Amino acid sequence: MSQEVLTPITQALNDGALSRRELKRLMKRSNTPGLVHFAAFLLVAACTGFLVWLSMGSWWLIPAMLLHGIVLVHHFSLQHECVHYTAFRSRWINELIGNYCGLVIMLPNKFFRYEHCDHHTYTQLTGRDPELIELPVALSKYFAFISSVPYWRAKFGELGRHVIGRLNDVERGFIPKEEHRAVFNEARAMALIYAAVLAASMATGWWGAVWYWWLPVFMGEPVMRAIRMTEHVGRPNIRDMKENTRTNLVSAPMRFLCWNMNYHAEHHYASSVPFHALPKLHKKLDGYIYVEKRGYLGAHIDIISQVLGKSPRKGSRHAGSA
Amino acid sequence: MTRARHWQDLVAVEDLEPGDATPVKLGARELAVYDTVDGIFVSFARCTHGNANLCDGYFDGLHIECPLHQGLFDARTGEAKAAPATRGLRMVEARVRDGTVQVLLAGDSKGAQT
Repeated sequence: MSQEVLTPITQALNDGALSRRELKRLMKRSNTPGLVHFAAFLLVAACTGFLVWLSMGSWWLIPAMLLHGIVLVHHFSLQHECVHYTAFRSRWINELIGNYCGLVIMLPNKFFRYEHCDHHTYTQLTGRDPELIELPVALSKYFAFISSVPYWRAKFGELGRHVIGRLNDVERGFIPKEEHRAVFNEARAMALIYAAVLAASMATGWWGAVWYWWLPVFMGEPVMRAIRMTEHVGRPNIRDMKENTRTNLVSAPMRFLCWNMNYHAEHHYASSVPFHALPKLHKKLDGYIYVEKRGYLGAHIDIISQVLGKSPRKGSRHAGSA
Repeated sequence: MTRARHWQDLVAVEDLEPGDATPVKLGARELAVYDTVDGIFVSFARCTHGNANLCDGYFDGLHIECPLHQGLFDARTGEAKAAPATRGLRMVEARVRDGTVQVLLAGDSKGAQT
């Protein structure tokens, strides 16, 4: 007899909130919504890049770069959808655009894909979920996380480690051994491209990559860190997807930028459902999953209130028990 | 007792998920029945990489994608098409008779369950 192997949609199939046929219908993939959304997303990025160009030489450069950076770091949302192979119907388009996004934000696509698989299988379980963000123990830790300094330290460390052909113990746990070499090679390719861009900038004396790409990404990343916190931080460290994840109701422009990933509890409940079907799934799961109606701001009020001890910390020591 | 293979009833065609993968148990065996664009094919249901049940994955009419790590298999031949899957699926010879999917396997036919 075979033992049960948990997958990201095991709970959805077992709970009965959705029939197997309903879930499979929602899982239908299409190229059109993703390509239209991607074109619009690139247009927005081009517009904010144009604002950076317009503001060169004035103090407006700083807010323009911040705005551009906020748009650029949302390449993460598209890449996230691509590693699920749900952004587009064609697998090769998911691979191609996922790798493009990864290059923009320095997140190697294959590595992220495998890390993210375990994040879905072991969501919020301490020691098992490789993307788990612990509820900060103090306000200083909360701000340190949002600063993105620990994030970039980890990302540069990961890239360097993979370039030299090494994995740490956690990475060995979630990257299939058949794929070790591929993960090293994608890190090397990424490092090579960055080095080539840097060399070209030095050779030509044109530093567009810094002003329109790298600096804005560093400036925008704290916003992405703050958004990522709203997904699980302050929710219980238990297996139940109805409880361990937070959906945030946000404005239409934010839904556009994050590719509907604000419907995060729905996404975790059935991760094979593409971004364009998440609003439908949201309606279907109304009252069944955890929703923060005040949006990202409300989620941070909840998190800070737990950090400060003004409301109970949500079950951080129950990992693996459910 | 004999271990010779013989045709056994598996599932009624009308009970299959149209255009999708249907999980069926035959005794202790877990099988996946694929309603592909080229007809009905049957394999053992577990992914050769991480052992997840492939019927929970995305099926596009030709390929089945594992729900755990998104490895990919050709549902008609069992061939592994994308990492981390490297070993093909074990396919089961199948046919349709009188509206029922039958499989050529050893053992008796009791206990087929969808």
